[in-house]
Amino acid sequence: MDTKWKNRKRAFSFIIFFLGVSLTLGGLTGLIKDKSGGKRIWHPGKILENDYQESGRFRDYIENRLETLLIMAAGGVPYRTWEFDSGYYYGGDYGILSEGGYGYEYGGEFDYFYKEAEWEGYSEREAQESAYNSSAENDGSVGNQLTEEDIKEIAQKYHDAIKGDKNLLYSVSYDGEVLYANSDALNSDIGLDALGGKPTEGTPLEDYNFFLYFDGEKVRIVKDGREADVYGDGYYRAENGSGEGSWWYVPGYSNFPTDEAMKKARVFLAAAKEPVIYSEGVYGFRQFDNTLYWLHYECSAKQKALFREAVCLTVGAGLLLLGFLCRKSRREALLAIAGFQAKIWVEGKALLVLLMLCAASFIAIKSNYGYGIWEEIVIAYDYEPGMEAVSALSREMIRNLPPVFYIVIFWTVYFIWNDVRHNKKIWRHGLTAKLCRAFTVKNLSRPLSRKMAKRNAVVFIGAVVYEALITVFVIWGKTASGSASVWISRNAVLWITFVLTVAGAVILAMLAYFTGRKNMETARDLEVLALNISEIRKGNYTDMGKDFSGHDLEDMMAQLEDIRHGIAKAVDEQMKSERMKVELIANVSHDIKTPLTSIISYVQFLKQEEGLPDHVKDYIKILDEKSQRLKNMVQDVFAVSKAASGELPMHMEELDFGKLLRQTMADMGEEIGKSAVAFRTEIPESAVMIMADGQRMYRVFQNLFQNAIKYSLDGSRVYVTLKTDGELAVASVKNTSHLELDKGKDFTERFIRGDESRTDGGSGLGLSIAQSFTEACGGKFSFETDADLFIVKVSFKTLHNTI
Amino acid sequence: MGECVLVVDDDREIVKAIGILLAAEGYEVLKAYDGLQALDILSTRQVGLVLIDVMMPKLDGLSAVMRIREKQNIPIIVLSAKSEDSDKVLGLSMGADDYVSKPYNPKELAARVKSHLRRYTSLGDIHANNRADEIKNGRLIYKTDEKILYADGEAVKLTATETKIVELFMRNLGRIFPAEEIYRRVWEEEAFASENTVMVHIRRIREKMELNPKEPEYLKVVWGIGYKMEKQEKSV
Repeated sequence: MDTKWKNRKRAFSFIIFFLGVSLTLGGLTGLIKDKSGGKRIWHPGKILENDYQESGRFRDYIENRLETLLIMAAGGVPYRTWEFDSGYYYGGDYGILSEGGYGYEYGGEFDYFYKEAEWEGYSEREAQESAYNSSAENDGSVGNQLTEEDIKEIAQKYHDAIKGDKNLLYSVSYDGEVLYANSDALNSDIGLDALGGKPTEGTPLEDYNFFLYFDGEKVRIVKDGREADVYGDGYYRAENGSGEGSWWYVPGYSNFPTDEAMKKARVFLAAAKEPVIYSEGVYGFRQFDNTLYWLHYECSAKQKALFREAVCLTVGAGLLLLGFLCRKSRREALLAIAGFQAKIWVEGKALLVLLMLCAASFIAIKSNYGYGIWEEIVIAYDYEPGMEAVSALSREMIRNLPPVFYIVIFWTVYFIWNDVRHNKKIWRHGLTAKLCRAFTVKNLSRPLSRKMAKRNAVVFIGAVVYEALITVFVIWGKTASGSASVWISRNAVLWITFVLTVAGAVILAMLAYFTGRKNMETARDLEVLALNISEIRKGNYTDMGKDFSGHDLEDMMAQLEDIRHGIAKAVDEQMKSERMKVELIANVSHDIKTPLTSIISYVQFLKQEEGLPDHVKDYIKILDEKSQRLKNMVQDVFAVSKAASGELPMHMEELDFGKLLRQTMADMGEEIGKSAVAFRTEIPESAVMIMADGQRMYRVFQNLFQNAIKYSLDGSRVYVTLKTDGELAVASVKNTSHLELDKGKDFTERFIRGDESRTDGGSGLGLSIAQSFTEACGGKFSFETDADLFIVKVSFKTLHNTI
Repeated sequence: MGECVLVVDDDREIVKAIGILLAAEGYEVLKAYDGLQALDILSTRQVGLVLIDVMMPKLDGLSAVMRIREKQNIPIIVLSAKSEDSDKVLGLSMGADDYVSKPYNPKELAARVKSHLRRYTSLGDIHANNRADEIKNGRLIYKTDEKILYADGEAVKLTATETKIVELFMRNLGRIFPAEEIYRRVWEEEAFASENTVMVHIRRIREKMELNPKEPEYLKVVWGIGYKMEKQEKSV
């Protein structure tokens, strides 16, 4: 029971809200649309005022009639009015005058006057009008041929045409003589009384409340017995012509041109309070001017409409207030509606929105005359291509839109907003999304190349289809317009082409966007992939930790991760085994050293023993040599294994490479002096600064020089050079081997020596140590052989503050 | 009878060999084969110097050094097959005065024993008072007025140039001198190809004052930069 009541309450609150918004919106847009120009929406009293004499159109009408009558009084041709009356109006508000302003005076004499007026296009009196009228049909040959009698006749005909319309009484006199008048009352005291503001009850002017009198210089206007402020500051501004105040475009303004002839003219006009229709002949076949009647009629009709709209607005606002009070249940109702909306496929929603838009555009087209607005646009382009025509047209279209249009648009947008707000990602629920998902799932299992190829193919085919369609329609449009047989068919083709172009472009752009987005994602992933690969190459085996699920490169990334883990594990194990090896060697060398200490000690004692036979002394000498060699070997093995495992403690500092070489050679001076080889050096005097561990590098070059001394051909030279290009410092040691060098032998391999017999004093680890130490210091160690020439190169990056 | 030296090592042959070596130098040698034995002997006998191995059963060498240091201030030389720098640092920080790695050089070992004993016994009181006209650095003393270098209290015979070099280094302990500067300041000439000349002199000085000239403790080469006199933190 409770829920039922709740549901009802929700429904009511929503209906109240719906009606409130619709009525308010309808009333408001209606008021804005229907209110007469110049009146502000926040002056409801003025808008609802039912006085046709307050409208701009009334002012226009009176102004024109006054001008025509003045011209007639001064003996001119009253053609301007005829231009106006036959629809060729210029200046003023076209929109206001669109329907009521003309068309009811099409009487018998119409054709005649029209023709006469055309001839008078070149009157010198009306220079500014003639400029306007000098269109193609006027070649000037018939201008200025009217005689005075002709002019008089035209004026008389005009007088005859309009005098029957008693809604506007007039009296035209010149130099005291009444020329044209349709009411004698104006020329009597009654007229003057009315002009003086006296009541007109009981006089022929009883039904008239608007009086205008031109006294040869200025115009006086009396309305409802009150004198109106006609001139203001005496300067006429068009924008003040309509709207607030009563600014009339009449003679007497400083910027209104008048001439001497008018000084003697007097014109008296009176307008009816409530105009009636005047006609003559059977069934009123011939209607008189009656402009004022129709003005009044329209004005009344509009007032009624405005009143209705005002009522709508008031009721709507009231309902909105009510809706505000029960906004909580309205919100629940909106939620319920959203729940319902969530169940509809997005395609269905799109269709509904499309229908709504169709309805809205149908309303728009319907309210903009019978024929379609597109033809209007096409015509506008034909006549006067450019934004001006379009903007003018759209302004008029908007003015013509009925309130229903706004209501439809509002509710469409409102429900879309409601849907989007409450239902997250509405596009997820629909046939297309379902298909897309199915496609994506299937697509994910394909290899990358297939995926990318397929994506490109989709865009390509889309583009081809689009181009083909456009081409066909453009050709069709061309041939159809070429034949020019049926104007409508050309427009239809243009219309279809337009729709297809826009729709196709949108679809193509979307296709390109989605495939492009996917490709961009893949490109970014490729970048990450490349980065990962280079990181692995650099030896960084830590996980990047980026999620690639759903991406093109998912598989590839997973495989790379596997490789990374594999390498990391292998490296880890290698490090472990290397450490174990070093530990083993350390232990072994320690275990060897202890007995070796005894051996060396006792050999020393033996050496000091005197009176031993010579052959025993020889034996002792051999023992001494071999034990010393064993000692060196143990130390070297330990050093090289430590260096290779990267556990050697390093003390890096800035040092002069050249000085290091000179010092090493000086340190080994005795050894070098005793040897059978000569050292030749080429070391720059200026400092070549590098970053290295001096002690280790001393060991490197000590080993290299010892090697050179040991393995060089007697009497040959050892060349020690240091060269630098500012970036890299390269020290090289070249010597000629006394033994033939095996090509391709890696001398830095542990225990490899120039001669295989291993009878000399070296441990066979010299080059190996040199290489390990150099690399541990961050340098590069390389050697090459050229015939019997043995070249070792040690290179370091120089520090920037050198050279 | 000379000083009494205690040799501790679990390898009896090494103890015996050192015994022969030191006996030949005129020292009385006491022998122990583990740390506890060594402590026993020290508690009963007056010992001038201890030579002790690190890895031994019952009580290892470094622990023994710490125990000895609790009571006595005699010089201790650690003798070990471990030749890493870190091992040396550890040994010295435990209270040892010197560290000799196996296989040792007999001459060097004898020289070290002699050096430590000399300083401990005959120079002990001289160390106590600092004098203005002498520069001390470890086992070296340079008397500026006499212009004579003493190593373990014995005057080192140096030539005039060598003395100048030694004075330069002793007056600037720890400072690194490039060969050119040494040449300029000692020979008082513009340096040219000075590296060899300087090195020859340095080698000769080392042979005269270092215990093991091949592994100098005082006059060192700073490779790629220059030469310096190492400042010895420890002076007994």
